[in-house]
Formats: sequence, structure tokens, C-alpha cells
Amino acid sequence: MKRTKYTATAAALLAAAALTLTACGSDDASDPVAVVSEDASSKGAVTVLDQPFEKPDLVLTDTHGKKYDLRAETEKRPTLVYFGYTHCPDVCPLTMNNIAVAKKQLPRAEQDKLRVVFVTTDPKRDTPAELGKWLKGIDPDIVGLTGGFAKTQAAARSLGISIEPTTKDKNGKVVSTHGTQVIAFSPSTDKGYLLYSQDATVDDYTKDLPRIIDGRKP
Amino acid sequence: MTRRFRPSRPSRRSLAVVAGAAVTALALTGCGGSEDSGPSASAKPELKVSGAYMPAPLSGDMATGFFTVTNSGGADTLTSVSSDAAADVTMHETKDGAMVEEDFFAVPADGRLAFASGGNHLMFEKLDHRPKEGDKVAVDLHFARSGTVEVEIPVKSATYVPKTGH
Repeated sequence: MKRTKYTATAAALLAAAALTLTACGSDDASDPVAVVSEDASSKGAVTVLDQPFEKPDLVLTDTHGKKYDLRAETEKRPTLVYFGYTHCPDVCPLTMNNIAVAKKQLPRAEQDKLRVVFVTTDPKRDTPAELGKWLKGIDPDIVGLTGGFAKTQAAARSLGISIEPTTKDKNGKVVSTHGTQVIAFSPSTDKGYLLYSQDATVDDYTKDLPRIIDGRKP
Repeated sequence: MTRRFRPSRPSRRSLAVVAGAAVTALALTGCGGSEDSGPSASAKPELKVSGAYMPAPLSGDMATGFFTVTNSGGADTLTSVSSDAAADVTMHETKDGAMVEEDFFAVPADGRLAFASGGNHLMFEKLDHRPKEGDKVAVDLHFARSGTVEVEIPVKSATYVPKTGH
């Protein structure tokens, strides 16, 4: 839908005369949050970032109730970071399960190197215990972090990921907003250099994880 | 989400050419508003539900479900979904990264309504037990004109991806 807006502009300039132009639903007014080039060979599921992200300086609480400093704990580790919440029925469990299934296919030593970090966007409901219970059903090795929403939002923002507190609209319907990207951080640079969309499958992660563990591009 | 990073496609050129050729007073519609055209809008809807599945959920607290309604007749509306297996079943739409609960979904005449991962989805809450891969969950889809359509939704693996895509 986004494209039609530009289409309409170009067409209108050309037409130059009295002309009624309707572009369908250009509700996509938001600007891109990161300028990236797309790796066309990978069906758009993974993007190699031209300008890698700094790892956010984020200190939250893990599922054991302990303080977890993201930069210190994942230093020089291949790390995948995702923002989501346990009351999410579709994309959050799917993404975490995709990564968990792919990870289990790695040799044990490589599995031990990898850090997978799930940061909740719904800290009110996702207490350390709730988050721990949920992640245990996926992969107990996944680090679950919960804490202040503002800190979490700022960290997500620094990675080009938009999250909002879960709210109710005027009809009492729940509205949840969260970007569904996974950011992969390199063990050699500690920078976020790959971005996975929600379309990334088990096969995509199975293919790419060995390379991520070595800090290589897929 | 992916589309945000995608460069725009060349389709714009073809439309620009058409518009350029038109030059004078002309109403141009950017995209197909075919739903309200033709006599089929008042015809009887002919619904078929296919491709239904539920990814095996982590617990009985919450699950999702997907399916496609194909309509070879007049327009209809999906007004609600219910299941004996869950206390609550709600319908959600994904708009610009926001998950929004909706009261109804249009099923266009001679068109389709797709519930697919990353887009529209059902949300089952408070299930009476945790559905496992291989189970079937009976669900009633309630349509304004066609009435209730019963669907047996097979439970697939947690990472299942439909072959036909979305």
C-alpha cells in the first residue's frame, strides 16, 4: 500500500491537468527507522545492515530475578535480541520457536556460545516468573528480561524497533504494538549487523546460525 | 514489517504512464474497489474454508489459529468465532505493527478473507486443555449471511509454515 502513495505523486505530476487521483489507503505514513539495503537472495527474511547497530546499554531483570546487563553478559557472544510479550499468540512464540528449533540442530559447543535474549514489552504482566514459565516451554536457555518499559522502549528504539505499551482503545479492545524484528549481534564487533523479519523460518535460522556464531554474513 | 525496508517496486511506472496518457478530467482509482461492483454483491455468498491450522501452543492459556475463507458468491461478513475448547476466541488484525482486536471482517464477493501468520489471526484464550500437535480443535465461524460454518482446525507443529504462503 505504501507504494501507491509514490505512484500517485508521480502520476499526478505527469497528468498535470484536472484529474482526480485516489491512492488507496496510504495509512503507512511512518518513516523508515533504518536505512538498509536488502539482500535479495534471501527472500527478504534477512537484511544485512549497512550501518550496524550499537548494542543497547540495557540493564533489566532476568527470569531468575537477577540483574542482567545486556552488554556485559553478551560481550563477544553471538547474540540474538527480540522484543515481544507472552500474551502474544502469533508472531512472538513462532519467532522464538523458530530460533529454538534451529539452535537445537547446532553442535552443543556452538549452542553454548549463542545467546538468545527475549525482552518483554509488557513488563506489567510478564514478571520474571511468568516470563520464565513461558520461555521454559520454548527453550530454557533463552534469556528472558523484564523491567521498566521506558528503558526497554529506548533500547528497542535504538535498534529501529518500535514498541508501545499495550493499551485499550475506546471500545475496550486491546491494542498491542511491537516491531517483530530479530537483531543478530556479531561476536567479533558486538554490533547488530543482521535484521530478521517475522518471515524468517526455521530453515533460514538453521542456515544462518552457524555463520552468526562466527560473526560472518549469511 | 519487511515491506518497510523494501525499495519500491517498478509497478509505479505503469500507472504513471497510464495517468500521463489520460491528461484530462478523469477519475483514477489507485486500487481495485471491485467489492462493490457487479451484481454479485447481492448474490448468495458461497463460502469455502481451507488451509486451517493452529500452531501447537506453549500452554492452554493462549493459542492462535489461521484459515482462508474463499467466496465464490456475494459478499458476507465474519462476525465472530467461537469454540467449545476455549472460553474466549477473538479476532485480530495487524495494522502497521499494531495488533488490533476487530468485531468483524469483510468477506468480499468473489474474493477471500485470509487469516495468516503475521496478519489477521484468531486468539484463543483460556483453553480447557493445551492442544497438542495432531489434535483437532472444533471452531465455529459465524457469518452474517451464511450462518455458522464449522471447522476442525488441525494442530500443527509450533513452527509450521503453510506451503502455499500467505
